[in-house]
Amino acid sequence: MSTRTRKALVGLGIGLALADSSVVTLALPDILRQFDVEIPTVAWVLTSYNLWLALAAVPAAYVARRRPVPAFAAGTLVFAAASLACALAPSFGVLVGARCAQAVGGALLVCAALDLLTEIEGSDTRAVRTWAAAGILGAALGPAIGGILTETLGWESIFLAQAPLALLTLLAAVRLRVRPMVEPAGRPNVPANLALLLLSGALTAALFLLVLLLVDGWRMDPAVAGIVVTVMPVAAIATAAVADRLGNTATRAATGVVLVTGGLTALGVLPGSAWWWTVVPQLLVGAGLGLALSALTERALHGRSPQAVHGGWTIAARHAGVVLGLLLLTPVFTTALDRNEERALRAGAAAVLDSRIPPLEKLGVAQDVLAIVRASDREVPDVRGAFADRPDTPEYRGLEDELVSQLDRAVTAAFSRPFLLAALLALAALVPIIVSRRAVTV
Amino acid sequence: MRALPLVVAAAAACALVAAYVALGGTSYEPSPVANPCAPRPPRTADGTGEQIEVVLLAAADSTACRLGVSREELVLALRSVDDLDALARKEGKSRDDLEEALRAGLVRAVDEGERQGLIGGTTAGGLRFAADHLPLGLLLSVLRGASSILG
Repeated sequence: MSTRTRKALVGLGIGLALADSSVVTLALPDILRQFDVEIPTVAWVLTSYNLWLALAAVPAAYVARRRPVPAFAAGTLVFAAASLACALAPSFGVLVGARCAQAVGGALLVCAALDLLTEIEGSDTRAVRTWAAAGILGAALGPAIGGILTETLGWESIFLAQAPLALLTLLAAVRLRVRPMVEPAGRPNVPANLALLLLSGALTAALFLLVLLLVDGWRMDPAVAGIVVTVMPVAAIATAAVADRLGNTATRAATGVVLVTGGLTALGVLPGSAWWWTVVPQLLVGAGLGLALSALTERALHGRSPQAVHGGWTIAARHAGVVLGLLLLTPVFTTALDRNEERALRAGAAAVLDSRIPPLEKLGVAQDVLAIVRASDREVPDVRGAFADRPDTPEYRGLEDELVSQLDRAVTAAFSRPFLLAALLALAALVPIIVSRRAVTV
Repeated sequence: MRALPLVVAAAAACALVAAYVALGGTSYEPSPVANPCAPRPPRTADGTGEQIEVVLLAAADSTACRLGVSREELVLALRSVDDLDALARKEGKSRDDLEEALRAGLVRAVDEGERQGLIGGTTAGGLRFAADHLPLGLLLSVLRGASSILG
């Protein structure tokens, strides 16, 4: 097997395991309906995976350093089997349990993959770059691929597709000999890992909140939303290609953090509710993602051996950041959603009262709209339903458009604070980068 | 650390945020509702139905102003006694305060309607009696059907 094929297969395994931290984002509404659970409960499909990946990464790395190839194979097999269990889960509890098992398998796979790549590439630096790039691509493409699969074949297809692809990556380990690492693992690079943690928390917003805004907020088709959010990975790939010319890891990391902060801030002050408003902010976030995550990963691993252990620390930091982001942003988001629902109701009531539809019809329209809002149960209501049997006159159409506009404004405003909070998290990542810039010059 | 990429990134980020703010990004939220205590722009009313509506909305404004809430909050709370109680709790008022303001506002609306010749004397008398004496729950039911009675 050629080096390139082997590298691609290992990269595929890393991408699959790290895509799983976000791949089910667009599937959450379907999972919620199928298992009849509440919104905070369904979020555990995401949180459990990221939490267990964060917890298992360092222990998995210690296992992987001693027997890299068997660890890679075992991790891949556990990941594939757990993926199948997710697809066939008869209950929500089994699904979450299988997600935890998937994360443990994924941790073993990803950490061992770093040692495999060092052997395949013949260079620590190149191995780290490939490893980081595969992870970034997987995490960034996850929501888009998951959205398209959910829309076309159902959420189970995400996990069904993963199992054979994961097994395919096992071919990379055939007849591959990797020397076990026996030297003691040194201390992790705390500033680089802290910056990774904060930045990953911020990127949670970019990946999860943006998808939620497009699909649940602006009622976009999930498959189309999946395509819209591919702007981010495309920008990340394009930036990664020129990253080396921008300077050392500190420069790239700081530049990336500034771009992510700018993109998230722009998402927090969107001037409209159409998908094209998100494109330029996504370009900035994607470019920042491509620069900062790879630079910080290189920085965390530079001069540290064995690589698998320190790679494990970066995985732990990144996914602890995702969990932090989910735990921090979810309550801010739900509070903002409640507040804006009330504001939208008042603005909607004003629109009905001030409209030019016949006075005797206003009460009926208001009651129909309110019934739809009350029945929506935390989903964005489709108020156009209240106008289905009403006359098709400019007065009714004007009122309908006004109500939809007020709802769009309320939803977009509800996402503002979480995006701005995420921008602050990203900005905070600059502190450890600046503090440690003199310590390492790579 | 090289300064140029950082400066370019910061400039791009600031330019984008400034452009979005200039395009109304910080005010893209549900329209604020009007202050019920401030006069509204005059509105032409065609026909009796619209004239009655104007009188009722003016009464809703004055009642909301007295209670310190918006006209829209008051109208939304008229759906049921529970909604009215929820509004009273939110505003730190008693049910009696709210009920009194609501009955007074209705009587004012009926008086104004009668004065403008929109409602006949008999209907006005009946409505005033309802506003003064009907239990709150029943009064709200009457209000929800008021448009058809008035029409």
